[in-house]
Amino acid sequence: MKFDLDAIYIEDACRDTTLAKRVIARAAMIAPVSFVADGRVTARPAVGLADSFAAGKRRMVIMHRRSPFLMACPAGSAKFACCGYLVLTLASNCPMDCSYCFLQEYVADNPGFQVYANYEDAFAEIDKLSATAPARHFRIGTGELADSLAMDSVTGLSIDLVNFFSAREKLTLEFKTKTHEIENLLTLDPRGRVLVSWTLSPRRVFEACEHRTASPSERIAAARRVLDAGYRVAFHLDPIIAYPDAEHDYVELMEELFSTIAPAKISFLSMGGLRMTPGLRAAARRRFPKDAMLVGEDVLAEDGRYRTFATMRIRLYKILADKFKTAGAEIPSYLCMENSSVHERVFGAPALHPATAGERLATR
Amino acid sequence: MMRDETTAAAIRACAASRHLPDAHTEKWLAMDTPSRMGLLDIAERLKLRTGQLVAAIDLLDEIEIREGVSSSAILLRDEIQRACRLAGSGPWRAAAFLDALRAIRFPRLKLALDRLSSEVAMLRLPAGVRVELPKDLGSDELVIRVSARTASELENLIDALAAKKAGLVRIAKLIGGEDDAA
Repeated sequence: MKFDLDAIYIEDACRDTTLAKRVIARAAMIAPVSFVADGRVTARPAVGLADSFAAGKRRMVIMHRRSPFLMACPAGSAKFACCGYLVLTLASNCPMDCSYCFLQEYVADNPGFQVYANYEDAFAEIDKLSATAPARHFRIGTGELADSLAMDSVTGLSIDLVNFFSAREKLTLEFKTKTHEIENLLTLDPRGRVLVSWTLSPRRVFEACEHRTASPSERIAAARRVLDAGYRVAFHLDPIIAYPDAEHDYVELMEELFSTIAPAKISFLSMGGLRMTPGLRAAARRRFPKDAMLVGEDVLAEDGRYRTFATMRIRLYKILADKFKTAGAEIPSYLCMENSSVHERVFGAPALHPATAGERLATR
Repeated sequence: MMRDETTAAAIRACAASRHLPDAHTEKWLAMDTPSRMGLLDIAERLKLRTGQLVAAIDLLDEIEIREGVSSSAILLRDEIQRACRLAGSGPWRAAAFLDALRAIRFPRLKLALDRLSSEVAMLRLPAGVRVELPKDLGSDELVIRVSARTASELENLIDALAAKKAGLVRIAKLIGGEDDAA
């Protein structure tokens, strides 16, 4: 998949980094390259534009990351039954443009598509964490503030990441993507320590909301290819949007998935209903005023986010959880950003402690 | 029929008198002519207050997007027209109008709330026991309030609750999406 860029900016101090050289070598075909003193300034919203967030996506900024790379998932909270996922922030923003995306609010103040040239510092952070708990397994993902693979043909980051993680027994790397940008992955040996996950939505949601992404069928086909190449695969039904025919469409999506990838080969499935802070909802509606998927029967929930009303949302989760159970093999599943009562209603059992959940998901 | 510029002037006057936020005035003016006239007529007939007019404009906008129909078509629906013609005070009809709009905007929520309210009503709980459904089913929490002033009153209420345990458990399950909660 190729994404258009208007410009590539590189911080002066990052000129001679591996990443910058890689991008420059491939830049002639993409966009003009310029050098800047401070990428943080370049990443700020451009003044005078109707949609500075969209403009930011087309402005790649290769820069030094000045804060830690490794962190707990920003969606985590004591209110939710969390999965113990850790996040590696190697990039910020995304060349695709899903109407429901939380980045519209989260990076509104620095929308430039940042890619961090000092990503190897992340490896030291990971080794340090691992050393504090040598018996524990950790699942670490790169797909929280950016799509893990969207620009991989330009940055080649997956190569360094797979090489690092494949050498570490207690770590699982998760790439999370909506693309079929897997060519680099197919040249590498993950040694069972790398998992590639896809966000999946029914065709109707893809067409309405998921602009510039690979189609659901393309994602499933890509998953099949990486599975055959030795990677583990997982899927995130997130956000689940409860439009009128959603039950039928999500079940049909699962049937398409299970017909291509045997349930026994799926490491896990997660579910999360559409959830938007008031600020995100306003930003999304401003940018996508005619998107009917953003005006579902969403009400203000107890966590201050707009969510499908509980009865309908939980019902949809249960229908899908039942589908997973009857798929022919046990597929570990979890909910994202839901409290323990919802977890118990859906799965019939209390949620595991995040550390335990994390350990189990890391080793599946 | 009012000419377009006359309608626009009337809308601006109506909006100004209610201190309607600019964004909502613009949304109103951006509607097609039958729609903005339809809303103007209702706003004046029912004497909609600022908050009500804001809500109406937002609801109409969202229903338009969800259903692909114009606001004028929505306003001509039976349930809206009935609400506007109800016997009763202006404020009563204004509230009924907004309730009717919300029911169109949130049809499955309305069905779910009606069903749950009916289940609560069927329990025939004594005064002193109140079952509170989560607002707009925004959560799955069921709250039961017991108010008593004497020990014997409290005992009786607790006994009454215990007698309705199955019904209350059923409501808790229905809130969580169990269609055929036993």
